Amino acid sequence: MSLSVDYIARETASNLWRNRLITFAAVLTVAVSLSLVGAAMLLRQGVANATVQWQHGVDVIVWFDPAANGAPQPVQHAIAHELLALPYVRSCIYRSQSFDLAEAHRILAADEAQALTTGTTPASERCALNNPNEAQAIWQQFRGQPGVQSVFYPGQAIRNMEDVTHVLQWVFLVVAVVLLVSASVLIVNTIRLAIFARRREVAVMKLVGATNWFIRVPFMFEGLAQGLMGAVLAAIAVLALHWRLDVLASANRQSVWHQMRMSTPDVVVTTLAVLAVGVLVGSLGSTLAIRRFLTTDRISA
Amino acid sequence: MIRFENVTKAYKGGTVALREVSLEIDKGEFVFLVGPSGSGKTTCLRLLLREETPDSGNIWVAGREVGHLSHWRIPYLRRNVGCVFQDFRLLPNKTVFENIAFALEVIGRPRHVIATQVPQVLDLVGLAKKRDNLPGELSGGEQQRVAVARAFVNRPLVLLADEPTGNLDPATSQGIMRLLDRINRTGTTVIVATHDQGIVDQMRRRVIELDQGNLVRDQARGLYGYGTATAEQPSSRAAE
Repeated sequence: MSLSVDYIARETASNLWRNRLITFAAVLTVAVSLSLVGAAMLLRQGVANATVQWQHGVDVIVWFDPAANGAPQPVQHAIAHELLALPYVRSCIYRSQSFDLAEAHRILAADEAQALTTGTTPASERCALNNPNEAQAIWQQFRGQPGVQSVFYPGQAIRNMEDVTHVLQWVFLVVAVVLLVSASVLIVNTIRLAIFARRREVAVMKLVGATNWFIRVPFMFEGLAQGLMGAVLAAIAVLALHWRLDVLASANRQSVWHQMRMSTPDVVVTTLAVLAVGVLVGSLGSTLAIRRFLTTDRISA
Repeated sequence: MIRFENVTKAYKGGTVALREVSLEIDKGEFVFLVGPSGSGKTTCLRLLLREETPDSGNIWVAGREVGHLSHWRIPYLRRNVGCVFQDFRLLPNKTVFENIAFALEVIGRPRHVIATQVPQVLDLVGLAKKRDNLPGELSGGEQQRVAVARAFVNRPLVLLADEPTGNLDPATSQGIMRLLDRINRTGTTVIVATHDQGIVDQMRRRVIELDQGNLVRDQARGLYGYGTATAEQPSSRAAE
């Protein structure tokens, strides 16, 4: 049995056109749900990128008291030795006031950084840990110690942000899954309507000996086309979202968007994943409909 | 060509459509299947098309046992068994030519074959001039001719007709029967399930009569007459 591309294209297009309203609804539902999936994937990738950028391999920062600047260096040396003596500290690096001031100018908004001078900017000891979870122990040990202004471990902030994004991701994914199930049901219903609308033709096909595949393939492609069309719209939405974030990131290099900036491969992978899920949902919906509503032995319309 | 061996078929609810029916139909025969409504005529045709499966017994069509045919083989059986119905079952949005061509298109025949065979069969049924008409523009007799053309265009070994004249006036019915007779003379086995006494009595072909699922008569050159079994039983094992 030869199944020509021309025949499949003609029949699929005809089916889609006959049920255009419900097809539109199914495509839109697939598009919305896959846009959420894509957004969740981008968010996750962005947070991962930001985390890497923020940490720079530093797990804990001990800020020296600027009031003690110019005061006995031994205090700072002692703290540095004390830090290095801890078994879970891998390495530490000293950053001078001028370095920290330059960094503050780079990170902070211009009006905030303007108020800072070398005199008011603390020097710091930045340490990498063998186990970043021990950062809290350092915080407890060194905070309030003479010569120490504060102890900061970005891991905590990052973990807070990761917790928030983790919850957001799950919310996105749960909503997306619910919408994808709705989209599948809509596709099942669309195919069911298409089968019903063409029941006379299907009956004649069975009567004259068309194979099951010949009868089924146009309906399968209809579901596939709906999934793919929804996925293409979702892919466009994902690309638009990425483009928008890129614009925001370029506008302000200190913004969180800049930290979250995604690479081209990240976006390509997300887009391909969205397209693949769309095709999967469409195929699944049409396969279910065909198995349920297109019995092939009986001829009766 | 066709053999029923002790075929029994009952539907849900306990209605027995056929009881231990055995019969044999040779290649090229023309057979009338008669009997009152509910006697099992249509069930016989549905079993031959493998729309139904027998509860017991075997059915052979062209050397193949169809009762236990696997699903994927059913389409290939149906390419050898054409069928015509009382309600024509034409596609209203396709022209006469397209309706007939559709039967070839969906079994994968190439375009040049369709372009050759459809005009031939349109000539056979006398509708060459109406090839571009829609079914709605044709009379009942003409629509049935299109249905016969569609069933025959693939040159099946067997042509089944379920009440083909049920919706037609006597004159038109005779025209359809002449057409089926012409097809039969090409070597195609024709089985007609009918209530039309006029055409059965006029054509005097083999008559198989069913009553409440039982084969009660198998008569060569028979008449319609319900329950009037005669001694002339040429080929039926059921009549032995």
